[in-house]
Amino acid sequence: MIHFENLNKYYATKKGRFYVFKDVNISLPTDRNIAVLGPNGVGKSTLIRMMGGADMPNRGRIHSKKKISWPLGLQGGLQGSLSARENVRFVARIHGYKNTKVIEQQVEDFAEIGQFFDEPVKNYSSGMRSRITFGLTMGFDFDFDVLLIDELGAVGDANFRKKSEKLLLEKYEKTKLIMVNHSMPALKKFCDAGLLIHQQNLVFFEKLDDAIKEYQDIYVR
Amino acid sequence: MKKNRNSLTIMCDTVHALMMREIKTRFGANRLGYFWAIAEPVAGVSVMALMFTLIGRSSVANIPVALFILTALLPFKLFTKLMTQLTSAVNANKALLAYRQVSAIDPVITRIIIELATYLIVYCLIFSFLAWLGFNVLPDDLLKVLAASVLVALLATGLGLMLCTANSYWKDVNKLVGMITLPMMIMSGVMFSATMIPPQYWYLVDWNPIFHATELSRAAYFSSYVTPLGSWFYLAMNALVIFSLGLTSFYVNRLRFITA
Repeated sequence: MIHFENLNKYYATKKGRFYVFKDVNISLPTDRNIAVLGPNGVGKSTLIRMMGGADMPNRGRIHSKKKISWPLGLQGGLQGSLSARENVRFVARIHGYKNTKVIEQQVEDFAEIGQFFDEPVKNYSSGMRSRITFGLTMGFDFDFDVLLIDELGAVGDANFRKKSEKLLLEKYEKTKLIMVNHSMPALKKFCDAGLLIHQQNLVFFEKLDDAIKEYQDIYVR
Repeated sequence: MKKNRNSLTIMCDTVHALMMREIKTRFGANRLGYFWAIAEPVAGVSVMALMFTLIGRSSVANIPVALFILTALLPFKLFTKLMTQLTSAVNANKALLAYRQVSAIDPVITRIIIELATYLIVYCLIFSFLAWLGFNVLPDDLLKVLAASVLVALLATGLGLMLCTANSYWKDVNKLVGMITLPMMIMSGVMFSATMIPPQYWYLVDWNPIFHATELSRAAYFSSYVTPLGSWFYLAMNALVIFSLGLTSFYVNRLRFITA
């Protein structure tokens, strides 16, 4: 379970505090694949980043006994001035690996971006970035209980998408997903439960279809 | 994935990873990086030694000019370098804070280690070179030379932590730091000692803890030089107070670095 206790998150804007979440109390199951639903700017990415430890709530806390990945998204996680190889080394090292060669090789093989693997990440296209970000988690023989994915597949080509989907499904038994994606077919393929962000709060649905229906009732005009 | 690492091990792993990353971007970008780390202070001192020779002085307070300047220039360099490096420590590693293993203090610790190590290496290399040229480079009181350097490092770390915090509120702090380093160099007694200025003008420099540090560093190195101004108490108090204030401001704002 991932527990949210009195979670408050706001952004300071020129016109005062903009609350994304207000007094959220909820426990999310970690044995389900959860799709996060909501329109742009409602706080999906913020939620993912807070669960992944890349952002902090202004008040309250999120805690869990499970192993949760870092947020896999297009922004953050890769240092632009370093090459993909150096980024991979960095991530391997902070996870306690002394020998990073094997992981480098795995990510390189997965990403298939050729000689760009040794070029600075800032020169990458967004598709190449997503290949590295995705390859990173896959390169580790990871045992995350929950993988946080923020619209990562959106920029990949068909080939890469097929490959990453295959990998995700392989890990399906052990690793659950919490996923942000605006493509309903993609969500339906991977997820069976839904989490709707509505009125600065989180609403959990056991069935993804119910969540999608509610989402369309509230937000889609 | 490795299991059950305790917090300290995670921190060590993270600092190690950050260190490899910093060394790579700082020195590794071009092979000349390692060279510049040493060449820059050497070039600085050569120019100043040359200047002093040209205006007719070959020796200051019975100390060879090169040594006179180096014993003050090196601690001063440590001060400015450490301070500027810490000011941008968190910002330069912002993207990497996305990983929960990396907390805001880790890049700071990393840069402190790198700067101190560089300082020690440069210090030893330059003085070995001077020894090879025939200078008598052994310090008269090694422990006091080290103590002065440690206090300078504390001072720089304190200021650096405060500036790093300020940097998260206001991005132009870096420019400000760049602006004050040159006047600081003049006021820190790198090119002169207290005995070279009349006592009625001491008030211009005696407030400056770095001036005390350079004076004490010289006095420790050459027992023939007796400093009329340098006070261990003043320097140590400044260092401790500023270091504590720096730690406090950093700790209070530690979550800001991740969210803002």
